[in-house]
Amino acid sequence: MVDGYRISADVGGTFTDIACLSPEGVLATCKIPSTPDDYARAIVAGVSALVRQLGIDGNDLTELLHASTVATNAILERKGARTALITTEGFRDLLELRRIRVPRLYEPLYEKPVPLARRRDRHEITERLDSLGRVVTPLDLAQARALAARLAESDVEAVAICFLHSHVNPMHEQQVAAIMRAALPTCFISVSSEVLPEIREYERTSTTVVNAYIGPVVSGYLRSLQDRLRESGISGRLLMMQSSGGTMDVERVIVRPATVVESGPAAGVIGAARLGGRAGYADIITFDMGGTTAKASLIEGGKVVSTDEYEVGGGISLSSQLAKGGGYALKLPVIDVSEVGAGGGSIVRIDAGGGIKVGPESAGASPGPACYDAGGEDATVTDANVVLGYLNPDALAGGAVPINGTRARDALQRVATPLGMDVLDVAYGVHRVSNATMMRAVKAVSTYRGRDPRDFTLFAFGGNGGIHAAALAEELQMTRVVVPPAAGVFSAVGLLFADFEVARSLSWSRPLEAEALDQLEATLIELERQALEEIGRDIGVGLIWRAELRYAGQGFELPIDIPRGRLTLAALEAVRDRFEGEHERSYGHRLPGHRIEVVTLRALATLPPPGARTLARAAPGGIASPITRRAYFGRSGGLHETPVISRLDLDAVPRAGPLIVEEYEGTTIVPPHGFATRDAHDNIVITLGRDAVDAQ
Amino acid sequence: MRNDPDPILLEVFKNGFEAIADEMALILMRTAHSPIVRDAMDFSTALCDAHGDNLAQGLTTPMHLGSFHDAMRHLIGQYQGRIAPGDVFIANDPYLASGQHLPDIYVVQPIFHANRLCGWAATIAHHVDVGGLVPGSNSLGATEIHQEGLRLPFLKLAEAGVVNAMLMEIIAANVRVPDLVLGDIRAQMAAARAGERGLVDLVNRYGADVVIAYGDALQDYAERLARAAIRGIPDGIYGFEDEIDGLGENPVAIPFKVRITVGGDEIQVDWSGTSPQVRGGINAPISFCKSNVYAALRSIMPADVPNCHGYTRPITVTAPEASVVNARYPAPCGARGITGYRIVDCMFGALAQAVPDRVAADGAGGSTLPSFGGWSEDGRQFVFSECIMGTWGATSRHDGQEGVPHMASNQANVSVEMIEAAYPIRIERYGILQDSGGAGEFRGGLSMVREYRMLADDIYFGVRSDKSIHPPHGLFGGTSGGPALNLVSTAAGDRTLPPMPVDRLTLNRGDVFRHVMAGGGGYGNPLARDPDRVREDVIDGKVGAVRARTAYGVVLGDAPDHVVDVAATRALRAARLPKSSEFQP
Repeated sequence: MVDGYRISADVGGTFTDIACLSPEGVLATCKIPSTPDDYARAIVAGVSALVRQLGIDGNDLTELLHASTVATNAILERKGARTALITTEGFRDLLELRRIRVPRLYEPLYEKPVPLARRRDRHEITERLDSLGRVVTPLDLAQARALAARLAESDVEAVAICFLHSHVNPMHEQQVAAIMRAALPTCFISVSSEVLPEIREYERTSTTVVNAYIGPVVSGYLRSLQDRLRESGISGRLLMMQSSGGTMDVERVIVRPATVVESGPAAGVIGAARLGGRAGYADIITFDMGGTTAKASLIEGGKVVSTDEYEVGGGISLSSQLAKGGGYALKLPVIDVSEVGAGGGSIVRIDAGGGIKVGPESAGASPGPACYDAGGEDATVTDANVVLGYLNPDALAGGAVPINGTRARDALQRVATPLGMDVLDVAYGVHRVSNATMMRAVKAVSTYRGRDPRDFTLFAFGGNGGIHAAALAEELQMTRVVVPPAAGVFSAVGLLFADFEVARSLSWSRPLEAEALDQLEATLIELERQALEEIGRDIGVGLIWRAELRYAGQGFELPIDIPRGRLTLAALEAVRDRFEGEHERSYGHRLPGHRIEVVTLRALATLPPPGARTLARAAPGGIASPITRRAYFGRSGGLHETPVISRLDLDAVPRAGPLIVEEYEGTTIVPPHGFATRDAHDNIVITLGRDAVDAQ
Repeated sequence: MRNDPDPILLEVFKNGFEAIADEMALILMRTAHSPIVRDAMDFSTALCDAHGDNLAQGLTTPMHLGSFHDAMRHLIGQYQGRIAPGDVFIANDPYLASGQHLPDIYVVQPIFHANRLCGWAATIAHHVDVGGLVPGSNSLGATEIHQEGLRLPFLKLAEAGVVNAMLMEIIAANVRVPDLVLGDIRAQMAAARAGERGLVDLVNRYGADVVIAYGDALQDYAERLARAAIRGIPDGIYGFEDEIDGLGENPVAIPFKVRITVGGDEIQVDWSGTSPQVRGGINAPISFCKSNVYAALRSIMPADVPNCHGYTRPITVTAPEASVVNARYPAPCGARGITGYRIVDCMFGALAQAVPDRVAADGAGGSTLPSFGGWSEDGRQFVFSECIMGTWGATSRHDGQEGVPHMASNQANVSVEMIEAAYPIRIERYGILQDSGGAGEFRGGLSMVREYRMLADDIYFGVRSDKSIHPPHGLFGGTSGGPALNLVSTAAGDRTLPPMPVDRLTLNRGDVFRHVMAGGGGYGNPLARDPDRVREDVIDGKVGAVRARTAYGVVLGDAPDHVVDVAATRALRAARLPKSSEFQP
């Protein structure tokens, strides 16, 4: 049973991707339309279909791994629970006032997001602690009980509790939680000192409220999914991806659903880190391009980068920090993914100054790009890619999506005429402008953190990743692009390779100095003990100690790993060195001798997934007859009769571009001056020169 | 090529320049040391072309939008022929460097490629203290700029890559919290270096000629977009008058008068009739006046107009010499932010006549700035100031927003838990105040309230606020928002402070300072407001049942459902409709 089949399901708004890994590492995948009225239906159907196709039994599945947008959708569609918030007296409006800052400037008509707990559902309780956790005003228990009685009469489904300074002393919160749990047995209770015991009341309150708001929806969904899978004869443990990139038992997710909001994007990045790493690419920038957005993330030395400066439901935002305020703050570890509004469906238009714009408006799945012939009139990035010859002008996805090339050309012509440009040049321009937008996503995770993209491999996946990756890499002067097998369902693949992960953290807020070492060590040992207790084993567990550090006075931290074990003065110096090195690398300077503060301590316990560590190679085969297609690569690249090949037509011997690699899940473009190989893990590897400037 | 830029490459460069300015902003924020920079984000970054005109500005503070232009011109004029690779310049003085006010320190670095000047990386940050009469350096009681702190003309902070240690020591010696100030200056230098790296990368990729040509093309493109937007505004002359409550114990109103002339694709903004400069630290240099005019006009243009210098070309700003919006040496400027806010509000008041659907009724009037200074129990000197914000007036589509910055700034609040962990102050209330929004078909935003209790003796206290005497106006029948209030409660009793006290105030342990901001103005006739919206407001405690009746003519049943009494509401409204304009909040 230990080495049985493992299956994964990544549910997006449009498609549900299923991937199944045999004990030998043989991968099978399928992609079916999502069923938004009941997402579990498509999952059960897809899993059952793959099980039948593989000729195995539902009982052969030892694990089902899941990533889903169910939590995010509950927020975007405002379909979460009616949530009450209980705050310290005087702070009822904290949630609504937020951090004040708005994400868009120069907009007198801007409207803030509506709070997830309405003012009528926000209640104050008399109590107060000071910043050291000492009681200034005792908790009014009678008031809390009266409130609980009132809430019991209402249709409130979830209660969030957040008092000032509760990260230092949770006593008052715990007392009120006990009262609420007793009086409201069916309510979802979310307590800030349990969800996020960290300083900064707005972020802690918001995180606790998000957790409460999505709690009933997520737990209802997961329980129903579990039942449906069992009814369909699919046994095995159900695990869910967390935003941090580790998997977790659904029973834990049901208690802390806020940890899974970004499960889909996290799965893709983890897949890139694991499979890329095992194929020899330790330093990667992931590039995940779909129909509406493109996402980028950085992997360094095989490690993903996390952040907790995150908002859910804010729409597309370019690496968060400058543009905050549009969503709901969620200060839990999430893989740092930056996103821009450039995807296959992004719409092309000309503005009043004669400039050409691509996105962020998207034609979406319906009507979709003009070439889908489903009523879309606007030219999109996909239409440009059809006109350029990059995409099959007859059909995509092995015939599943018919394409009308004439409609694509007509739509682009409507853009070209007023500009007085050739339609091919406009199409290539659209390709470039979308690449320029996507460069910002890549820069946000690299140059913005002092990393030079040229030191990294661009690892491309998602439905459109392979089409744009090489040109994007050239713009950034990156010299290597990797497109993995099953790139179009890569998040589902990534799920199969994620570690099981438990994290425990604590706000610590003390200087990093010799006097604090004993306490630092004791705290980390305790956090580690708690994490191990939850993971329930101690053999084969990976353990990491981590601290969020900053120079005293700064407001932002850098995560630095701390060597496990006895914390000596030498260890302290090593941590200091690591922090200062990272500060210099990220920001260009260090402050020798300046006091360093510990803000948060964290212990992580991880278990690697059972079974195959890499994908088995595909059986050899090839395309029947050699065909070509005319493809345009700009004025400097030229118009070429370009071979259309399959992945398996490539091998270790570099093959010169231009090439079009067509597969069921997507297309990969190798530009004229690039070279393509297939590596020992069946990845397409494109090598690029440094001389491709199309500026003149 | 100058005349015929490729629209594709233009978009590529626009993205590239904006990405550089944003990267600078992120680095400045992440490495800054003071709460006002790192949390409140009172700073700006810009990538400028070789002439010093900004190509892109980081997403930070709108009232800084035009602030680089005059200062950069000043710097380039002064140092012509003496600008070399490795130089970093610093300045803050409104008169010696075309700056803003002394706390706003510029750190600016020329960007060279193969010894050719290709552009500038420019930063400006509000420093927590630059010396002078009071902690925070924003004394309302100053009578000349020499009392306001350290004045810096443009000086080389670094030459050939070597930082001038002597200059750093002079700065450290002249400010109350040198760690924070020098920390923030270093953060500005780090941001400028990032700007340099970004532009040099672009030049390496495309060549200096192409980058410079497309920088020029971007300015032209922004100008075209701006002209197109201005053509969409009806031609005409739009005037408005507004006032600041005034300084000191017996405030005298400080009048603002704007006249906006829209003709074809150009706009002239004239401030004749505005108050002469005043004996108090709220005078604005002309560069700051222009900045705010640009920001207001930018707000009624489409979202995708690039925030570069080019869009300001069709705009002309004139203001009388030695006025509160065009100060002459030695007028003090420390707390001139309030004047900037009023410039923008006055602009919106006039623009409401031209584009009524694109502006909001008057809001809280800009951040209130309380400052506290003294000594903690551990014997360390502290200075704490923050911005209290904010609420907007209503628009033709929705109620006024609550918990927002003034349109001209985009700052954040500071965490209560962080304040209490660092300073001998306890925040006892932070929220909104029932019935404080102006009535209208769309309701003005409610007032913000924040209360501070002192936990130590002998704390210096100052506050800059406004709109206690002249509350925010409504539009098209909407009524005014509630007035602002400064209240100090001590053992001796309560005392209402004027909006801008100029004398030094001291608070002691247990004393409470309570600030109520003004509420936003309403938009449209209150009797036209959907009774269901009034009911929702009552359920949410934003409007009381009495005011629902008196201001909106809506009669509601009892709590908790407050069902609308349709017949009684209709009757009450019918009786009042003819004289609706007489409604008082």
